[in-house]
Amino acid sequence: MTVSRRGLLAATAAVPGLMRVQDAQAQGIAPRRGGTLTTMLTPEPPVLQIGVNNQGPTLVIASKMFQSLLSFTPALEPIPVLAKSWTISPDGKEYVFTLQEGVKFHDGQPMTAEDVIFSIMKFHTELAPRARAVFALIESATAPDPLTVRIVLKQPFQPFLLMFDASACAIVPKHLFDGQDYRTAPAVQRPVGTGPFRFAEWQRGNFVRLERFADYWKPGQPYLDAIIYRVVPDSQSRRLAIETGQAQLTQANDIEPFDVPALRAKPNLEVNVKGWEYFSPVSWIELNHRVKPLDDMRVRQAISMAIDRNFIAQRLWFGVGKPATNPVASTTRFHDAGAKVAAYDVRAANALLDAAGHKANAQGVRFTLKHLVLPYGEIWSRLGEYLKQAFRQVGIALELESTDAGSWARRVGAWEYETTINFVYQFGDPTLGVERTYVSTNIQKVTFTNTGGYSNPKVDELFATARGSADPKDRQAAFSAVQKILCEEVPQIWLMEMAFPTIHDKKLRNVITTGLGVHTSFDDVFLTA
Amino acid sequence: MPAFTVKDFWRRYRRNKGAVVGLVVLLLVMLMAATAPWLFPGSPWDMASAPFLPPGEMGMLLGTDSLGRDVAAGIAHGARISLLVGAVSTAAALLVGVTLGAIAGYLGGFADDAIMRFTEFFQTIPSFVLAILLVAIFTPSIGSVVFAIAVVSWPPVARVVRAEFLSLRGREFVQAAEVLGKSRVSIVLTDILPNALSPIVVLSSLMVATAILLESALSFLGLGDPNLMTWGFLIGSGRSVIRLAWWMSVFPGIAIFLTVLALNLVGEGLSDALNPRLARQRGGAA
Amino acid sequence: MEVSKLLGFLLRRGVKAAVVVLAIVVCNFLLVHAAPGDPASVIAGQSGAADAVFLEQLRRQFGLDQPLHVQLWIYVKSVLSLDLGFSHRQQQAVSLLVLERLPATLLLTGAAFVFAVTLGVTLGALAAQRVGKWADSLITVVALTFYATPLFWVGLMLVLVFSVWLEWLPSFGMSSVGADLHGLAVVWDVAQHLLLPALTLGLFYLAVYARLTRATMLEVADQDFVKTARAKGVPEGRILRSHILRNALLPVITFAGIQAGQLLGGSILVETVFAWPGIGRLAFEALLARDYPVLLGVFFCTSVMVVLFNLVTDLLYAIIDPRVEVAG
Repeated sequence: MTVSRRGLLAATAAVPGLMRVQDAQAQGIAPRRGGTLTTMLTPEPPVLQIGVNNQGPTLVIASKMFQSLLSFTPALEPIPVLAKSWTISPDGKEYVFTLQEGVKFHDGQPMTAEDVIFSIMKFHTELAPRARAVFALIESATAPDPLTVRIVLKQPFQPFLLMFDASACAIVPKHLFDGQDYRTAPAVQRPVGTGPFRFAEWQRGNFVRLERFADYWKPGQPYLDAIIYRVVPDSQSRRLAIETGQAQLTQANDIEPFDVPALRAKPNLEVNVKGWEYFSPVSWIELNHRVKPLDDMRVRQAISMAIDRNFIAQRLWFGVGKPATNPVASTTRFHDAGAKVAAYDVRAANALLDAAGHKANAQGVRFTLKHLVLPYGEIWSRLGEYLKQAFRQVGIALELESTDAGSWARRVGAWEYETTINFVYQFGDPTLGVERTYVSTNIQKVTFTNTGGYSNPKVDELFATARGSADPKDRQAAFSAVQKILCEEVPQIWLMEMAFPTIHDKKLRNVITTGLGVHTSFDDVFLTA
Repeated sequence: MPAFTVKDFWRRYRRNKGAVVGLVVLLLVMLMAATAPWLFPGSPWDMASAPFLPPGEMGMLLGTDSLGRDVAAGIAHGARISLLVGAVSTAAALLVGVTLGAIAGYLGGFADDAIMRFTEFFQTIPSFVLAILLVAIFTPSIGSVVFAIAVVSWPPVARVVRAEFLSLRGREFVQAAEVLGKSRVSIVLTDILPNALSPIVVLSSLMVATAILLESALSFLGLGDPNLMTWGFLIGSGRSVIRLAWWMSVFPGIAIFLTVLALNLVGEGLSDALNPRLARQRGGAA
Repeated sequence: MEVSKLLGFLLRRGVKAAVVVLAIVVCNFLLVHAAPGDPASVIAGQSGAADAVFLEQLRRQFGLDQPLHVQLWIYVKSVLSLDLGFSHRQQQAVSLLVLERLPATLLLTGAAFVFAVTLGVTLGALAAQRVGKWADSLITVVALTFYATPLFWVGLMLVLVFSVWLEWLPSFGMSSVGADLHGLAVVWDVAQHLLLPALTLGLFYLAVYARLTRATMLEVADQDFVKTARAKGVPEGRILRSHILRNALLPVITFAGIQAGQLLGGSILVETVFAWPGIGRLAFEALLARDYPVLLGVFFCTSVMVVLFNLVTDLLYAIIDPRVEVAG
């Protein structure tokens, strides 16, 4: 155990009432100052500077050091962080943010509107493809005074606010980056943000230590003295660490789903699958439409019906996550519960394949497909093995190919695959996270674009309508229509709305309070005695 | 070197009790591999029952795995692949190692120097790292695994064969053959090689064992052929659930252990039978 | 041995070693670049979003837009000036990354090596001395058992017994992070973490050395000079120590020299099971992420170490067996 007993300073300082959405979660227990949280990071990120690297583990740790203007509730409503308040003009084109006062970077410099504008217009626009795509819509970003940022868009973009989470647009210090190559600036090695914890030490392959930032803008916070992220590459060692109390928190991919039931049974641990609403990844069997007969809608429908999604959710993921019903996750805005893919039905699937003219040979094989197994851990290998059996039932021989992360990314990016597994974050809005996989304008030789090559003018048009419309009602209509078409044509075979278990010691409070879960600042997280 | 008869050989071999046990175990493993399609009809990938059944429950002799597949079927079918990987990669390594070693040892001089530097070069790169790299380059499949294992296991063969050839080429019978005008190739193949066989035979039994271990280590790191049931795959997939279902990794582990042990015992028996001088010591004391 | 002769030997071997290392550098470079996939696509892939501009930026920055022979030439030139390059993925100089991880691996493999050699040779010698007795059989069986068991399997079992059931030892890592330790307490802490991984890695090689020592001792014991010594009435203990063991150690030392590289390879598995922050894991992760400079740096580093180790064993050989000519 690494919980130190010193520093029992009661946090009595007054906190702006607005900030305490979390208090309800504290179950009436007064937050306690002190203690070190030991948790884990899997896999070890190459750099900790958000923007330069935006991989999952980097987001987990960087969100403690960096903040953005907003955060989001589980229902994806904005919560103020570095922006105290904001207004949106009726035409949906002008956004004015009023910034918190007294916010300092870890090097003591004050955070101003200049830093915010630099982060949006230069830093993230230069580094991050996701930001580049959206921030290209900005016509002007100005600072009428040091605590006000005014952004004017070229056209209305309703999901714009969703881009102001720390994972998408962390505010970085202009004075440490401006005029340098952002990727090689010295600050990349010693990140400086406005978050409640600041970078202390990184022993590569071993641990990263963050320590309490005394000048944090919320008085009396954070409560923890330090957070240590240990690098533990073996999943069983990670399970052991949380079981034996060597760590008090695990997140994301730290714990394999099959270990979750046993950990649920531990009286001192709490298992939570909430806190991923903002990301809400949906996994799918990615089909390359250039490979015959995957361009045939009937074949895709048959494959979709041959998959028992309940089996996958219950037997492979042990109830962590749930079967997907359509391409938009149920926690993402504009999900239409009425649009559903056809249910599991092996007989109907076989009939469809017969009708499509794919006769079985003497071995009962209609045709053979290759499947590139996703190299992100054992569970995906198990899924590949399950799919092999499931496809066999409808007379499709699935030949598995294993690969490593390097080759997988290259081959999917180069369209050199027949089928594989893929999943992407949805970022709360189909325009941000779903559109890219299905519109023909995004068919690119780059991973996480429309690599499958699906193309339907009607779908393109509906996504474009939803993107350009300022009225949520119009957007809902377009998204509902598109979900219906996609469920009919099944360009990709959606499998699961993925969830990731956050497991923590019950002494650790306030872990999941927003739709971003463990990707928030942890300024209100504390350890009870 | 005296000529052996099979009877002599067997008499010497039999004196080493461990070697006899090893041979029996090895034959049993081969028998299991040969009869797997009849013992466990159908694919070992088929879901046979509920997942995570402990051994003995619902007719599952060694339990089931996370997808309800029969562990016993996996071991029986896996024996085929593990033995095949061991045998083929060893054969390939022998081919390369014996050829290079023979050339180096027989010709000597520049050829010897060049080949030995080449061999040294391969021995300087950690073999397991090289194997991982090769499998990654050629993407994991049975072919690339066999290739990688062969590439990392030939250098010791080359060294041993070279040493044997070096000492044999000066012997009278070789010189006699040279005087008689026999071609070099025929001298190497008919005069020297048969006399250098015994260390090669002993070494190859150990190489099969090492190859099986290497394959399991590659699978452990997720670099095995995903379409083939091997013991390495079974342990690799059972390893992460070891506390949930110990049987998934314990039984394939035992299978590897027994096979590798048997191969080592057989190797020792062969060594005893082929090197009577050492065998006398062992036998005399046993 | 004269000093000048020794220096000459070292010089000749040094040049030879340098050539071998250089050849390894070139071959490694070509091998690594033959692997499909490039670091830019991996980073793009793992970032969850990418576009062509992003890939282009990364490739240019990594120098991947140059032809292969140009990349090779640049790399060889920089290695010759002892610069191992820069990992763009981790934004760090490769030499720093490798040096940071090297001590952990040296500690692990060193401990495993010392453990394996001392105990292995002792057990092997004991077995040879009591050939055919129960002690011999026991040692042989134990050695064979370790020899035939997969390395990672042993590691898992040790964790299960000593960390999970008995709770005596930590199951992963190299030190307790966050515990404010000083002086001897640090050593004790690391030693506790080291025990299981070193044991796991060492047991296999212990088996190898025990078997090798036993076999060579039996062989040497049968040779004429031993018989002569015995006939002259030299006490049995002295025969064992100064005649048999001394000569039997020669192949053991040769083998140890060859094995040094294998030990490093084996440490990949052990470092994975025990989350040991060494270069084995660094190399494996670098391979998966296509972080070429790091991978090549680790290869270079291990090659140099193996070559150095071989040099040392050659010297040792010469010291133990004065009959061996110190020659190129």
